[in-house]
Amino acid sequence: MPMKVRTTGYFFRQAFKSILRNFWMSVASVATVAICLFILGSFTLLIANTNYIAHKVESDVEIAVFTMVDATEKEVESVGERLEGIDHVSSIEFISKEKGLQQLNKKFGKEHDLLKALDGNNPLPDYYLVKAKEPDKVPVIVQETEAMPYVEKVNYGQGIVEPLFKIANWIRVGGAVTVILLAVCTVFLIAVTVRLTIFARRREINIMKFVGATNWFIRWPFFIEGLFLGLMGSAAACLVLYFSYNFLADKIILTFAFLPILKDAAVIKRMSLIVLGGGPLVGALGSMLSVHRFLQV
Amino acid sequence: MIRLINVSKTYPNGVRALRDITLRIKKGEFLFLVGPSGAGKSTLIRLLFREEKPTYGHLLISGKNINRLRKSQIPILRRNMGVVFQDFKLLEDRTAFENVSFAMEVLEYSRKEINERVPHILKLVGLEDRQDYYPTQLSGGEQQRVAIARAIVNRPMILVADEPTGNLDPDTSKGIYDLLMDINRGGTTVIMATHEWDLVNRTSLRVVALDKGQLVRDGEKVLFAHEG
Ligand SMILES: Nc1ncnc2c1ncn2[C@@H]1O[C@H](COP(=O)(O)OP(=O)(O)OP(=O)(O)O)[C@@H](O)[C@H]1O
Ligand SMILES: [Mg+2]
Repeated sequence: MPMKVRTTGYFFRQAFKSILRNFWMSVASVATVAICLFILGSFTLLIANTNYIAHKVESDVEIAVFTMVDATEKEVESVGERLEGIDHVSSIEFISKEKGLQQLNKKFGKEHDLLKALDGNNPLPDYYLVKAKEPDKVPVIVQETEAMPYVEKVNYGQGIVEPLFKIANWIRVGGAVTVILLAVCTVFLIAVTVRLTIFARRREINIMKFVGATNWFIRWPFFIEGLFLGLMGSAAACLVLYFSYNFLADKIILTFAFLPILKDAAVIKRMSLIVLGGGPLVGALGSMLSVHRFLQV
Repeated sequence: MIRLINVSKTYPNGVRALRDITLRIKKGEFLFLVGPSGAGKSTLIRLLFREEKPTYGHLLISGKNINRLRKSQIPILRRNMGVVFQDFKLLEDRTAFENVSFAMEVLEYSRKEINERVPHILKLVGLEDRQDYYPTQLSGGEQQRVAIARAIVNRPMILVADEPTGNLDPDTSKGIYDLLMDINRGGTTVIMATHEWDLVNRTSLRVVALDKGQLVRDGEKVLFAHEG
C-alpha cells in the first residue's frame, strides 16, 4: 500500500509516544527480546564452533587399515591395490610391521629395544594409513575397507569425532528448545506491551474508526511499536554478543591453544543476521497478536 | 440515498432491537428518529455507519448494499458519513482545534489543508474564539459543537446524530438543533435520534417513530396505534 511521507512520520510519532508512555513495560520487552536473542546468538556461535571443531578433528583423522597378521606379502599388497580403487581417498601410506616397530621404539625411547624384549617376534600387523578427501566421506571409506579380504580391522577417530557431533546435536536441540520457549515468552510480552498501548489509546482508536481511517492506518503505529521494541532488543543482543564473543574467543585461543575457534567475520555476520532478524520478527508477531485480538479492525 | 428493506436486527443475546423496518431517506432530507428508550433508535444509527450489521433485510446507502461491504470498504462508507453521539466522544488531552484536526490527520490531509479548513469549520459551528480550549474548559453545548465540527469537517453527504442533545438543557439543545438545521440547509442529509418530543412535535419535518423495534410512525402517517 502506498504511504505518504507525512503519514509515515505520523505513525512513527504515535509509536514513539506509546513507547514513552509505557516506558517501563517497553524496557522490559526490549530486555526480554535482548535476552532471548542473546541466548539464540550464543547457541548459534556454540553450534558453529562445535561443528567446526568436530570437522577439524575429523579431517585430520586417518583411517588405519590393519591387515591380518598372517597375511602373505602378496595379500597385503592386494589390500593396498584395492584401497587405491576406493573413491574419496586422498592418500595412502603403507606402514610395514618393521616400520611400525621402529615408530613404537621411538615412542618408548632409545634405551628400549622392543624387538629384543619380544624375542625377535614382531607381533605387529602391516597396515595402511588412509586419508579421506572430505571428512564426511570417512564412514563410507571405513565401511568399504571393512568389507575387504585380509583386513583384520579398521580404526579411525570415532572415539573423538562421534561424541563431538553428538554434543553439537545436543546443543542444537537444547538451543532450539530454549530459543523457542523464550521466543514465545517474548512474543507474549510484546503483545502485552502493545495491548497496553491499544488500551491507553482506545478512545482515539474508536474515533479513528468512525471518522473513516483505514484499518492499516490504525494498525501501523502498533506494528511500528512492536517492530521497534524487537529491533532495540536485537541491537542490544547483537552488540553484547559481538564484544563478549570476541573477548571470549581471544581468551580461549590464548589459554587452550589446541582448540580451534572460529574467529572469521562470516560466522559473526551470520550470527548477527539471525539475531537482528529475530527481534523484529518476534516484535511484529507480538503486535500482530494484540492488534488482531484487541483492535478488531 | 438511504434505503432499508425489511431490516431486522437481533443481537447475539437474542434481543430483537429492530423488526422488519422498511424506510427510504431522500438526499438532503432532515429526519427525526424518535421512540421510547429501548425502541431501537441507536441500533438503527449503528446499522447506518456499519457498526452493526442487519440480521435480515437489506440496507442500501448511495446504491451500495451495506451488508455486502467488505471490511476494507467500511472506512470509505464512514468518510462520507459524519457521526455525532450523546457523549460527544472528544479527546480530553486535545484542544477544540486538535479534536477537529484529528479527524483530518487520520484521513491523511496535509497540514496546509488542515490549517485552512479547521478554523473555517469551527467558525461555522460558532466556536471561532474557543479553538484552543480543552474539552473540560468548554460547556456541554460547546463540546457538542466541537463534535459536530469534527463530524462535518470531511464534508460528508450524511450526518447521523444519536441523541446529540441528550445531555444538554433545552436552550442549548435548541442551539444544537439549529446548527444541524443549518448543516442540512447546506445539502447534507441529517438523521437525528432524539427523546425530545416537544422539539419534534413543533416541527413540520419528517418524523420516524420506533417502538419495541417496530416502525410505528413515518411522517404524519401513524402506522400502528402508538402505545407509549
Ligand atoms: N450491543 C447490544 N447487545 C445486546 N442488546 C443490545 C445491544 N445494544 C442494544 N441492545 C438492546 O436493543 C434494544 C434497543 O436498544 P437501542 O440502544 O437501539 O435503543 P434506543 O432506542 O437507542 O434507546 P435509548 O433511547 O435509551 O437510547 C434494547 O432492548 C437494548 O437493550
Ligand atoms: Mg440510544
